[in-house]
Amino acid sequence: MAEKRDMVQIEALEKYFGEDKERVHVLKGVSLNIPEGSLYTFLGPSGCGKTTTLRCVAGLERPDGGRISIAGQTVFASGERVYVPTNKRPIGMVFQSYAIWPHMTVAENVAYPLTIQRRPKAEIKQRVVDVLKIVGLDGLEDRPAPKLSGGQQQRVAFARALINEPKVMLLDEPLSNLDARLRVQMRSEIKALQRRISITTIFVTHDQSEALAISDQIAVMHGGVLIEVGSPHQLYTRPKRRFTATFLGLTNLIEGKVLEVDGDGRPGKIQTKRGVLSFIPSTTLKKDQQAVISIRPENIPLHKEKPQGVDNVLEGTVKEAIFMGDAYQCKVAVGDDLLAVHTHPFISVNPGDKVYLHLDPASCNGLPADDRQGIDDSMLGD
Amino acid sequence: MRRLNSQTLILVGAILFVLYLAGVPLVMLLYGSIRSAPIGEPGAAFTLQNYVKAYFDKEFYFLLLNSIYYGIGTCALTFLIGTFLAWVSERTNTPLKKIFVVMSLIPFIIPGILSTISWILLLSPRIGLINIVVKELLRLESAPFNIYSMWGMIWAEAIHLYPLVFLLMSAAFRNMDTSLEEAALTAGSSTWQTFCRVTLPLMRPAMFSVLLINFIRGIEAFEVPALIGVPAKISVFTTKIFLAIHQFPSDFGLAGAYAVTLLAISTTGVLIYGRITRREERYATVTGKGYRPRVIDLGGWRYFTLGMSFLIFFLAVILPVFVLLWSSFIPYYGVPSRELMEKMTFANYHYILNYPLALTAFKNSFYLSVGSATLVMLLTSMIAWVTVKTKLPGRALLDNMTFIPIAMPGIVLGVSLIWVYLTLPIPIYGTIWVLLLAYITKFMPYGIRAASASMIQINKELEEASLTAGGTWFQTFRKVVLPLLMPGFTAGWIYISIIALRELSTSILLYSYNSTVLSIMAFDLWEGGQYTYVCALGVLMVLLLIAMAFTARKLGARIGIAN
Repeated sequence: MAEKRDMVQIEALEKYFGEDKERVHVLKGVSLNIPEGSLYTFLGPSGCGKTTTLRCVAGLERPDGGRISIAGQTVFASGERVYVPTNKRPIGMVFQSYAIWPHMTVAENVAYPLTIQRRPKAEIKQRVVDVLKIVGLDGLEDRPAPKLSGGQQQRVAFARALINEPKVMLLDEPLSNLDARLRVQMRSEIKALQRRISITTIFVTHDQSEALAISDQIAVMHGGVLIEVGSPHQLYTRPKRRFTATFLGLTNLIEGKVLEVDGDGRPGKIQTKRGVLSFIPSTTLKKDQQAVISIRPENIPLHKEKPQGVDNVLEGTVKEAIFMGDAYQCKVAVGDDLLAVHTHPFISVNPGDKVYLHLDPASCNGLPADDRQGIDDSMLGD
Repeated sequence: MRRLNSQTLILVGAILFVLYLAGVPLVMLLYGSIRSAPIGEPGAAFTLQNYVKAYFDKEFYFLLLNSIYYGIGTCALTFLIGTFLAWVSERTNTPLKKIFVVMSLIPFIIPGILSTISWILLLSPRIGLINIVVKELLRLESAPFNIYSMWGMIWAEAIHLYPLVFLLMSAAFRNMDTSLEEAALTAGSSTWQTFCRVTLPLMRPAMFSVLLINFIRGIEAFEVPALIGVPAKISVFTTKIFLAIHQFPSDFGLAGAYAVTLLAISTTGVLIYGRITRREERYATVTGKGYRPRVIDLGGWRYFTLGMSFLIFFLAVILPVFVLLWSSFIPYYGVPSRELMEKMTFANYHYILNYPLALTAFKNSFYLSVGSATLVMLLTSMIAWVTVKTKLPGRALLDNMTFIPIAMPGIVLGVSLIWVYLTLPIPIYGTIWVLLLAYITKFMPYGIRAASASMIQINKELEEASLTAGGTWFQTFRKVVLPLLMPGFTAGWIYISIIALRELSTSILLYSYNSTVLSIMAFDLWEGGQYTYVCALGVLMVLLLIAMAFTARKLGARIGIAN
């Protein structure tokens, strides 16, 4: 099968907000390609530029530089002065507030994209019925829009975005206004819907668990810069950047200097305050480079007695052990470091216990200590 | 338990006081309109003859028609000007628009009587500057414009009233969730389609309520009909009421019948308005995070909008202010010329400042303005606290009662108060105290709006934190509630002191020699044909207004921070 082409291409996107002295650089050369049919997530803390990037794709913001193309058609190019207005782009969008027009009924809201094209009445009616069935709202055609619950409003917003069969669906934090249970439900519905009609979808969120659960690919953004792109599994298990490791889930970082490493992905050695540790480099590292080891709390087995015949064993004292049902969440003091460790609930641990932590080299990701290139220090609060 | 008692006491006291201010005049007006003889005279009986006389007069229907024509014309023209400016400043990339936002509000600080006078001085067929200049330039036989016509009246009213539309429509533009429009764009509609199908329908309730409130203001207006309409023999309700009382002998019964009719019209309007705005609130959609207004890139057209905005500013501010200033420095009224320029003098100011009544008028206006603004804000803050923060039964009634005077045109309130104080054995008729009571009654609705709006924003927990920290109720009110209330309090105070200083339509029926105020003095000087003196007085009035607004702002800011 031929390789899937890229549905959306973004090159070196630049955007500033404000004027003169209050000018803020919000997008600093963001480039990414979104494969056809994938559910692609922009993930990052608020102010990272994810929504702005999405709005640039929609044409609701005009970038200050770069190029965007959708389905092979250039919709924005700063050099060539190309700018296709929002209404001429092959997109459908779901807004954070859903933006359901309160002066129209459900059917009128959903039919809108077809109505303004003056399609025949019969066709519109049929399409509305079809698309409402897809989102599970059949029978609510004549309900006034303000009389809908949050979940229903969202389904209407989806139906409205889908009815015109756009090439790309843009979802701007569509789940953030729902309560927790509905959020999880809608999350799997969105995923299932996207699979079923295999429409290229860009999903913006600041919620990492949402991103992990729903995405084919995630683009992690921070401070107007694209940090890293990968599948949820890749990003969680083998992050290449320090920001990704800390932003996605919980992790322990141990600082040090690379002693030996080769380019074949075989274990390397790093000198830390806790001695020499083995690790797997998840990206290219050089000898003598400042680096960190990232290891997740659930990947650290905790032993009462010192395990024999293995590398990377640290001795520590339990400072805190909180029973969570499915695990003990422990804080273990190793020297003056405090490591988070999640253990199996059957192993009982108490504060004050002396324990041994086995940092399996396969779980120790070696990353460059500094991924601040191109990111303002002020925006990296950690 | 003691706190509950003090709350109840405040509630009962406030209800009684508000009832006295707003309810008694209403009752007395209705009562007076069905009495056969003037107030105070013995042998009066209940009768419908006043209404018969009013309604079976053929003139009544011209009156009604004129009033409606005038109201509709005013509201249409103010709406056009105000909405255009609001749209330019909120939704376009017109250059210098921030400056226009401030400048468009200037007509607000110019008292209505002065703005009316300035337009007569500009557009009168005989002495109007514009007429004289255009006539000379184009070598016309007669004056091209005539202010003494229905259109002249509508123009003079609209160019003064539009800042209200501007403010309301700006808020409407700003409060609209822009993602509603963006959703239409992403759904494939053009800017124009989006405007017609989404923006316009969503704005419709706001637009309708703005039109309605301007219609009511047009029907209630007094300055323009009195100064332009009376000489032009174009009668509306307000001037008819005024003339019924000012003729000799006064026909209080007839004035009462007309006043009740006018009151019925404006009350209907206010009730519809209240209905719409309540529905509008329900119409409001859930919005997400803060959004920036969607600004339309006008391209080259932005210079056109800039030009139009400047033209409005020129007509609404520069021309009237110029003509007032110019006339205040010349010995007799005329077109600016080298000859007249050489005769420029401070004589008008000298005359005003030595006019026997001027000092009294300045003092009265100042005391009334400061006094009514302060008392209204104190009273309404207390009422707002009861209606917003307590769960006492009867608080909704109090809230509604405080709003009653908004439906009373100034001239109607004047008629009612004549009846009240000529009938009740309270000897304040003809003193400054009756004016003070009138002002408090009239401006109470504005005060309660400002006070409740800021009271709602004060989170209950802020007060509770003070109470749990050991503060008494009074300390909490003084240390927490009042400082937090200060910005709203100041804003309300400035607004009321300004409209109090320029108040004419109520005062004109209630003043006596010793309780003359500035706007009355201007009215009398104008009636006496002393144009240049009026202008000097007007300039001084505007300066006083600016100084008061400025001081209040400074003071308010200091108190808010200091505590």
